[in-house]
Amino acid sequence: MTQMMSRVMSRARSRPQPRTLLVLLACAAACVAPLVLPDLTFFMRMVMAAIVVTGLSILMGYSGQASLGQGAFVAAGALTVAVGTTRFDLPPLLALLAAPAVAAGFAALVGVPLLRLHGHYLAFGTLALLLMVQTAMSTFDVLGGALGVSGIPPLGVGDRVVVGQLPYVYLALGCLGLVLLVSHRTVHSRFGRGIQALAGSQTAAESAGVPVNRSKVVIFALSAGFAGLAGALSAFFTPYVSPDSFPAAESFTFVIMAVVGGLGTIWGGVVGAVIVSVLLQVLNTISSQPGLPPTAAPIMQYATYGTLLVLALLFMPRGVVPSVDAGVGRLLTRPRVEVPG
Amino acid sequence: MLHITDLVVRYGSAVALDGVSLEVGRGEMVALVGPNGAGKSTLINTVSGMLEPASGSVVVEGTVAQVPEGRQMFPDMSVEDNLLLGGWSIRNRQLDEVFDLLPDLAGMRRRKAGRLSGGQQQMVAIGRALMARPDLLAIDELSLGLAPIVVDELAEHLRYLNAERGTAVLLVEQEVTLAFRLCARACVLEAGRVVVTGPSSELAESDAVRKAYFGDLAELADVEVSR
Amino acid sequence: MSEFITYLVTGIALGSSFALIGSGFVVVHRVTRVVNFAQGSLAVLGAMLSASLLAGRLPHVVGEMVTVVVCGLVGVLVGVVAIGKRGTPPLISLIVTLGVSMLFSAAIIWLWGQDPVSPPGLDGFTTILGAEVERQRLLVLVVTLVAFAGLSLFFSRTYLGKALTASASNPFAARLVGIDVRRMGLVAFGLSGVLGGLAGVLVAPSNALSFYSDLPMALGGFAAAVFGGLVSPLRTLVGGLGLGVAGQLTAGYLNGSYQTEVALLLMMVIMIARSRSFAHEEAK
Ligand SMILES: Nc1ncnc2c1ncn2[C@@H]1O[C@H](COP(=O)(O)OP(=O)(O)OP(=O)(O)O)[C@@H](O)[C@H]1O
Ligand SMILES: [Mg+2]
Repeated sequence: MTQMMSRVMSRARSRPQPRTLLVLLACAAACVAPLVLPDLTFFMRMVMAAIVVTGLSILMGYSGQASLGQGAFVAAGALTVAVGTTRFDLPPLLALLAAPAVAAGFAALVGVPLLRLHGHYLAFGTLALLLMVQTAMSTFDVLGGALGVSGIPPLGVGDRVVVGQLPYVYLALGCLGLVLLVSHRTVHSRFGRGIQALAGSQTAAESAGVPVNRSKVVIFALSAGFAGLAGALSAFFTPYVSPDSFPAAESFTFVIMAVVGGLGTIWGGVVGAVIVSVLLQVLNTISSQPGLPPTAAPIMQYATYGTLLVLALLFMPRGVVPSVDAGVGRLLTRPRVEVPG
Repeated sequence: MLHITDLVVRYGSAVALDGVSLEVGRGEMVALVGPNGAGKSTLINTVSGMLEPASGSVVVEGTVAQVPEGRQMFPDMSVEDNLLLGGWSIRNRQLDEVFDLLPDLAGMRRRKAGRLSGGQQQMVAIGRALMARPDLLAIDELSLGLAPIVVDELAEHLRYLNAERGTAVLLVEQEVTLAFRLCARACVLEAGRVVVTGPSSELAESDAVRKAYFGDLAELADVEVSR
Repeated sequence: MSEFITYLVTGIALGSSFALIGSGFVVVHRVTRVVNFAQGSLAVLGAMLSASLLAGRLPHVVGEMVTVVVCGLVGVLVGVVAIGKRGTPPLISLIVTLGVSMLFSAAIIWLWGQDPVSPPGLDGFTTILGAEVERQRLLVLVVTLVAFAGLSLFFSRTYLGKALTASASNPFAARLVGIDVRRMGLVAFGLSGVLGGLAGVLVAPSNALSFYSDLPMALGGFAAAVFGGLVSPLRTLVGGLGLGVAGQLTAGYLNGSYQTEVALLLMMVIMIARSRSFAHEEAK
């Protein structure tokens, strides 16, 4: 353990300065933003998306498979909190902690068979899973039925409970920080070196003794755990969970964010979530201008999604983070230490 | 009819061919020999256009067809279909010429190529290459894994093809005796460079060839010693 | 009994469209290893286009044919975007086609609006074993069977079909004999456009389609293709018909809203149950 720590730290020291500065700047901005922004709901959704997409980015970058239904695991986390607190009187804090575990377990169950397959069975399997979760939610009263679950208690310990939106926003930011840290640790651990080999060539990784299938399942479960955490946060933030809370389009948005940010990078999820969220917000404002037909909004949204995906993939296939990273590296023209991940 | 000048081919950053020059005349048979990893397959693949040169040039006057390393059948398709696809580039769907030359193929035309024996597959691979009516036939490992009798038969077909049709042949062959028997001229490749080119009869006496010929044995001996 | 026949025929008709879309997935996947997510959108495009053409006084058959051809051309365009750039890995191509399907949604809303559209089809009913059956649904089955027979003949008998099969079976050898494997990929995409367009043209007269139908159509088709391990058109046909019938029987006898879920559940079961053998087939 200490050995790993020192290795990680020596890497951190050898990292070029601008990167560290940028990260510090981003942290500062994230801490100040909730205090000055008028619309906390938008910011909260963006942070939760970043949590989900960080996991998705690692999944897609290292296992070479996509999940088109990451919303299923967001739902699993949200339901753990919603059903756990309202039906089984779980303490809210315990429900929050259990949510990622439930989502990860759910993913492991599905992932073991599906990840053995190539040809993107996982993509369609997870999408099917999401639609089935939606149906299950609207069918079974335990999961809320058509009306959904409402009356989720606020987060708190004993008598002290959280009031207002702001504490949840900071909690979410803290969770994002934790998720980034876990991702960083995972990618730079011994296990991480294994999955990096996997990203290169599966056959090569196999022959080097990396347990390919098990590694993929672990990454998948990790990404689902992150999604579950985001779902739990959302259940506390908006204390109402219904089948409509997890549309397929949102899961596609996660994929778009992951691709735009850069697959298989630690910061890609955050960058992608911020870029796409802000862009969508701007478009929303434009398309709700008076004088435009009611179809302007969906047309613009679909067109933007589509164009973003196609252009990003064809012209910046590695995503924003690696491309900018390489650009900055070239600008500085000093010998850069390769930092994998 | 084949002019290779200062050819450099890379796989990523690894250099597989490093300044190779070689000529094959019209109707000539040239053997290409050398130890494992010398770059023989790379050269053949570049001649047939499967690989792009990093620098230097490959000029072919006429058409090339390749009998690839590992035979590369379309395993689930019939022998007939395998042959027909060989004529894709010139839309040649006449099987008779090939059946005349390799009568054995006619007998197995309906069988799945993937179910044939190694020798039969090699025959199909040659037949498939001939369907393109090539002026130059580039063969990678004629004898690999085949019984001597089959090899002799294939060699006979090649000689006939060369004599009757004037098809030039570039032959990669580990079996140096066979290669030299078949081809009047030979080229020895080592670590991506041409070591020596010349008439087979002269090369058979030279040290360079000895080294290539016994390359594997020599390496084995080295390993033994270092243990 | 007559109820059962009605469900059966309805299920077979819906299953036929799954089979057509599914075979589009199979054709593209075999040649390019790409799963074309825009497959469902092509069916929706087919429905919309045929409705407009038929309303614009093109006679039946001609209107449908033109639609299918246009869908084929659009399929080629999807292919150009998805695999046109050299060295695009299949995962990236899948996501590109996801993007393309979103562009389709935008275009369809722009041109045809958000409401479901149902072009005219065969009118009237036929009586089978005492059950009144829409003729259109029978037409769907017949055309689908003809299409599959044509597809099978195309792959086994024509030179181009053989070249496609060859590209799927051994891309290296295909390139060696001078087959342009990427162009074959585009041909496959075009074929998948034809199949998707055909599915839309056939199914929309009985089940109106909107821009929103692309996802259920794509999922239904993919579920059918999973039966064939993404490589076998024939097993895709069987799978599609099975899924359609199972869905309709559930809808009829249990609860009308679960037919998609039944198909998805069956797909998951098949994927999980056969994951070992699929993985084995792929490794070959
Ligand atoms: N696809 C590839 N990627 C990377 N390196 C390669 C590739 N193919 C060949 N090489 C390398 O290029 C060099 C030449 O290989 P090549 O296959 O041409 O040798 P060869 O002379 O045909 O050997 P053999 O007698 O074993 O067939 C070798 O060092 C090999 O490792
Ligand atoms: Mg070789």
